[in-house]
Amino acid sequence: MAQQPLPSSVQPTDVYGGDEVSAIVLDPGYINTRAGFAGEEMPKQVLPSFYGHITSSNRDVFGDQAMYPRADFEIRNYMNRDSVVEDWDAATKIWEHALVNRLGIPRPTPPSKNGLNNKPKPAAEGEDVEMADEADLDETENYEKPMAENPLLMTEAAWNSPKQREKAIEICMENWACPAFWLSKTPVLAAFAAGKATALVLDVGGSNTSVTAIFDGMVLKRSVQRSPVGGVWLSSQIRSLFEASEPKVEVVPTFMVENKKPVEAGQPADARLKTFDFQISPSFRAYEEERVLKEFKESVVEVWRGPGRYLAPGNEDYAKNLPGRVFEMPDGSNQMWREQRFKVAEGMWDDNAAFPSATEEGKITKAQTVPGLIKAALDSIDVDVRPALLANVVVTGSTSLLPGFTDRLNHELTAMFPSVKVKLHAAGLSSERRFGAWIGGSILGSLGTFHQMWISRKEYEENGPGIVEKRCK
Amino acid sequence: MSQSGATVNEECITAYNDLKLNKKYKYVIFKLSDDNKEIVVDSTSESGPEYDDFREKLINAKTKGAVGKGPRYAVYDFEYNLASGEGVRNKITFIAWSPDDAGIMAKMVYASSKEALKRALPGIATEVQANDADDIEYDSLVKTVSKGTAA
Repeated sequence: MAQQPLPSSVQPTDVYGGDEVSAIVLDPGYINTRAGFAGEEMPKQVLPSFYGHITSSNRDVFGDQAMYPRADFEIRNYMNRDSVVEDWDAATKIWEHALVNRLGIPRPTPPSKNGLNNKPKPAAEGEDVEMADEADLDETENYEKPMAENPLLMTEAAWNSPKQREKAIEICMENWACPAFWLSKTPVLAAFAAGKATALVLDVGGSNTSVTAIFDGMVLKRSVQRSPVGGVWLSSQIRSLFEASEPKVEVVPTFMVENKKPVEAGQPADARLKTFDFQISPSFRAYEEERVLKEFKESVVEVWRGPGRYLAPGNEDYAKNLPGRVFEMPDGSNQMWREQRFKVAEGMWDDNAAFPSATEEGKITKAQTVPGLIKAALDSIDVDVRPALLANVVVTGSTSLLPGFTDRLNHELTAMFPSVKVKLHAAGLSSERRFGAWIGGSILGSLGTFHQMWISRKEYEENGPGIVEKRCK
Repeated sequence: MSQSGATVNEECITAYNDLKLNKKYKYVIFKLSDDNKEIVVDSTSESGPEYDDFREKLINAKTKGAVGKGPRYAVYDFEYNLASGEGVRNKITFIAWSPDDAGIMAKMVYASSKEALKRALPGIATEVQANDADDIEYDSLVKTVSKGTAA
C-alpha cells in the first residue's frame, strides 16, 4: 500500500520553498492544453482544448477518448481564436480534468480517512481504506482543495488582458487552494529556453502567429504583433486548395468510413460509409475533418524555401518537376500532390499567393504575413535595439515545423534587412518547438530559488487578485 | 518579470570592483553554482590578460552534470583607440554567453538569472548577448562595443 501523504495541516508551511516542490505547469493553447510537473522534460498531459458537450444531458466530456460520434454531441473550445480563455467555467473544468484526474496530483486525504481518526482495528483495515479512496477518484468536486500542496505556474499570451490574468489567479487560489501562483508570458519562456534574455520571438502556433520583442526578459508591449496565419488558417487554405482542385477533393473524416477498397490515384473513392441513427453535429464533423487536414499538413505541405517567392517567374515550373507526395484520404481516394504542396503554405509569406478564402476571417493582408508581422514589430521599437533582436530571432510553435520554414524565414529576413546580421534560433528537437513555453516554465518552476518569486497564498489574501498585475510583469 | 530568484555572491561584486576601480583584472567570468542557487566567480584574468585565453575559457565552459557546453556571464574591460585619433577609450562590457549547443536547462537558468547579476554590477557600459564562437571574436566585439568608432 502506498504511503499516505501527510495532511496539509502537519506539513511545513513553506513546503513549496524547498527543492522538492511539486509545482504544476499549465500551458493552455487554442489547439492543445499542456500540463505537467515542473522539472520534467515534457508535459505529461497534452489534451485538446476542444471538448465535447452533450446537449441532451447538459454534460461536458474531455480528452481525445471522449470524442467519438454520439447523439446530441457538440464540439466546443474554451479558448477563442486569440488564444485567450473565453469560457471560464469550461476552462476550470478542463484544467481540473487535466491536473487532478489525468495528471494524478496526490490529493490530501480527508481527515475521516487519513487513518489518524480510526479506532484501532486488526490489520485488514488498511485495505478497506484504500478501496474507499478508489471509489472517490472521479468525484473531484468532493475535494475542496484539490491542489492544496502544488504551486501552479501558468502561461499566457503576451496580449492577455489584466482581467483575464486576475481570473486565472482567482481560480488557482479560490477553486484549487494552491499555495502559490505565477504567470509567465509564453514568448519570454520560449526566449529564455533558447538561452536569450533579449530576442525577437516568432511563435507560429495553431490559431495565431505572433511576433514579440523581448528585451532583458521584458516584453516590449508595443512590439507585439499577431495574425491568424497559423495552423488553423493553413487548414482553411488546404480546404480552398481541395475546392479548387479538378476534380474537387472531398474531405471524408475517418469516423464515417465503414470500409474501403484501394483505388488508383485520381479515381473516385470506393468506400462504404457508416450510417448513424442520430444526427452528427456540424461542429463534430468539422473537428474530425480538421484531423484529416492536420495529417495532410504534416505529411504533404512544405514551405517554398526561396530565395525569392514562389510566384517569382520560373519557380512554379521548377516546383512542378520536384518529386511529389501521395496522400490517401480516409476513404481510400488518393492523389499525387506536387507544386500545390508549396502553394498552399505560400500565403503565410506572400498575401498575393494565398488562396481566395470564402470567409472574411480567412482573408489576409500583407501586414498579416510572417514578414509583415516581423517588419511591423521592428518598426515599432527603438532603432538601436533592432540589430540585437535580429541577431536573436527565436522560432517556436508547432506550425514552424513545416519543412522549409526556417530556410524561407532566413531568406526573407536577409532580403528585408541586408545590412544587419540575422541569426535564427530554432530548436532542432520538435518537442522543444511544440512545447517551448511549457518546457521553459517547467525549468523555472523547478528551481529551488524560484520559491521567493511565487505569489504566495498569503500575498494573494492580503492584496487580492490585483497582485498579479504588480508582480507578474 | 519571470526571474529565477538566484542570488549574487558577494565575491562577484568584489571581483567586479577590482576590475572597475583598481584595474586589477581585465576580465571576470561568472557562473551559477552547481545547485543553481547563486552566481559565483568562475575565473578572472589573474592567469594573464590575453583576450584569446578569455575566449577559450568561455568556449570550453561546461555545466556540471550536463552534456555539451555551458553558458557563462562575463565582464570584459575593452580598451580601444578611437578612429578619429582622439585617444583611448575604455568600455566595461557585460557578455551573456549562452552557446546554442548548451543544454536547455542551463540556458533557461542563465537567461532567467542574468538580470540579478547585471543589477548588482553598477557602471556597465554595454551588454552583448553571444551564442557562438563567432559572436566573441575580438574584432567584432570591439566594433559593437565602440559602435564603430574604434580604429
